[in-house]
Parts: sequence; structure tokens; C-alpha cells
Amino acid sequence: MSKRKKRLLAIAGIILLLLVTVLICYFLFTKKDNRNLEYDDNATTGILPGVDIDQRRKELQNMLDKSMIAFSINTSPVFLNGTAKGNLLIENPGNNAKLLRVSITIDDTDDEIYASKYLKPGTYIESVKLDKVLEKGTYNATAFFSAYDETSGEYIGQTGAQITITVQN
Amino acid sequence: MKKKTLFLSLVLAASMLFPNVSYAADASSTRDIPVGGSGQMEMVGTVEPTILSVTMPTFVPFNISSSLSTQNKVISPRINMKNNSNVPVRVDVTYTKVDLSKLNNVSWSDTGTVGPDQIAIGLKQEETKNEMPKTLTQARWLKANQKQDMNVLILDSNQEGALYVVGTMGDGVSDNGTFNVTPTFVVSRTSSSN
Repeated sequence: MSKRKKRLLAIAGIILLLLVTVLICYFLFTKKDNRNLEYDDNATTGILPGVDIDQRRKELQNMLDKSMIAFSINTSPVFLNGTAKGNLLIENPGNNAKLLRVSITIDDTDDEIYASKYLKPGTYIESVKLDKVLEKGTYNATAFFSAYDETSGEYIGQTGAQITITVQN
Repeated sequence: MKKKTLFLSLVLAASMLFPNVSYAADASSTRDIPVGGSGQMEMVGTVEPTILSVTMPTFVPFNISSSLSTQNKVISPRINMKNNSNVPVRVDVTYTKVDLSKLNNVSWSDTGTVGPDQIAIGLKQEETKNEMPKTLTQARWLKANQKQDMNVLILDSNQEGALYVVGTMGDGVSDNGTFNVTPTFVVSRTSSSN
């Protein structure tokens, strides 16, 4: 084989290698694009005109029913002092099938004074120590219950309960 | 004679002694406190905490469409709430997050009266079971992105109640758009129920 032929073969090999590389890259990028779903801007959330209202209402009812939560809390927890435990008595009942997190904020200042971790259904917390030290007094506060899907952990929504916190000393 | 006198004395002494012994035995077993005596009894009272226990939604989906022939243009699920407590409770909306950014040139109305490019959304108590409201009378209107203390429902102990989302929109608001309205319901103990 002449030197020229060898050179031509080497060049053809390099070109082939480049082509294979380009092809591999093309397939890789195409696959990645499929993973990052692009939603159509033209799509509208809502009822397709002409769709049965009762049917749509059933779908909405189903969504709302899935977001329902039950919870319990002491309306007037008492703390001996700012660093002591108080009887908050928060409960995520067993029939909830959702994870709950509780955050308490003082109404006047919007300061968060307590945040729980996730509570599994069928569990409760009897007494807690607040995350911030409160002076002696009575405080109007709101306990926000955030609900999360039990399996995926996806946030569903939140609701709240008004409570009065008393710090005795 | 002496023996007889001694025997009678013993009988008399025994009859005086035994009732006292039996009384003493009773007293030691039951520890009666004589009326008007100086015995003290501690009475311990415990104040039971008031537990608020409710079932309510955390997410309220709804659709609005100008094609509805009624005054109320919203298709709403039945927002069922149940008070499982032994005290009456009230349900308020304290804040409503509103996002109209996907609707061009549309603004919010918090009075229920809308201009051509306005939307108003509110809540209304159920009048007929499982029936969406057709009118907007007695609707409570949500204020956008600001604190609000709006009572929407009062429930007696162990009572259920329901609300519906209601709303209206101006002629200039396009049907081809989405917007988000997220009210926060807060439940609290109340002294009286209606």
C-alpha cells in the first residue's frame, strides 16, 4: 500500500470518527430535550368550551376532596416561661393520608416562633419548646398547617388556626 | 359474794371496753373525718385545654367562564368544612394571594362590581345543598394580596357547613387565560354561633 493510500485511509478514518461523534452527540441531546418537557404556551388551563359543567364540577370536587385535611390544636397553649415547653397539642389524624407541617407566627409582628418538621398521619405532638424566646405575656398567633402528599412530598396547600399563647413568667 | 361482785365488775368493765375497741378498729380502717372537725381535704382541679379540631380544604380549585348564563360565572366545588370540636368555631379568610400576570391588562375588583377589564372572586355560603349559587347576593369578596379579616362561616360544635366560590368578570376579559387565587382560611374559637 502506497503512502498516499495510507494517508487517505487515515483521513477517512478521522472523518468517520467525527461523524460517529456528531451522531452520538445528536442522540444524547435529543434524549435530553425529551426529558425537559416543554409546555405549550398556547394551552389554556380551564374548561374546554362546550364541556359538561356537571362533569367539570365533579373533577373540581375530586381535586378539592383530595386537599381536605383534619387537624387538632390547643387554642390556648401555656408556657411556664419563654424557654419552657408548652402544651400545643397538635395532631395529624390517621385518616388524613397527608404529611403536615405546622408553623406558628405572632399576628402583630408576623414573626415565626415555631416550625415543626413533617408529621406523619396518625401522629401528634403534645408539648413543644418555641424556637424564639417570648417575654411574659399573652400573644395572638396563627398556626398554619401545610399539607404535603404522603408519597411524593408535593405541597398541596395550607390552612390556619387562631390560637392564644400565654407565657406565665 | 366477793366472787360475785368481782365477776359483775369484770362484766361491766368488759361491756364498757369492747364498744370503744370496735369503734377504734373502724376508725382506723375508714379514716372518717368528723363533721365540724379540723380534718383538711385537698381538692385538685385541672383546667382541660380547649382543643380545636376541624376538617377543611387546603386548596380550592375553580373555573370561571363568561359563557355561563347565570350572574355567577364560576364553576365551584362544594367547599365542605366540619367542626369536630366541642366549641363553636368561625372560619375567616385572612389573606388571598392573587396572580393575574398571565392575563393581559386585567385588574382585580374587591367589591364585586367589575369594569370591562376586571375580575372579582368571592365566597358564598351554601343556600341549597349541593347546588352552586346562581346569583352574587350576599357574596363576600376577596381582597387581592393584602390582609383581610373576612368571616365566611360559623360552625356550632360538631356541625358541618359549606361554601362556594363565586365570581364575575368584565366583557373585556379573555376566556383564554389562567389566573391563580389562593385564599388562606383560618379557623378560630368563637363564643357564639348563628
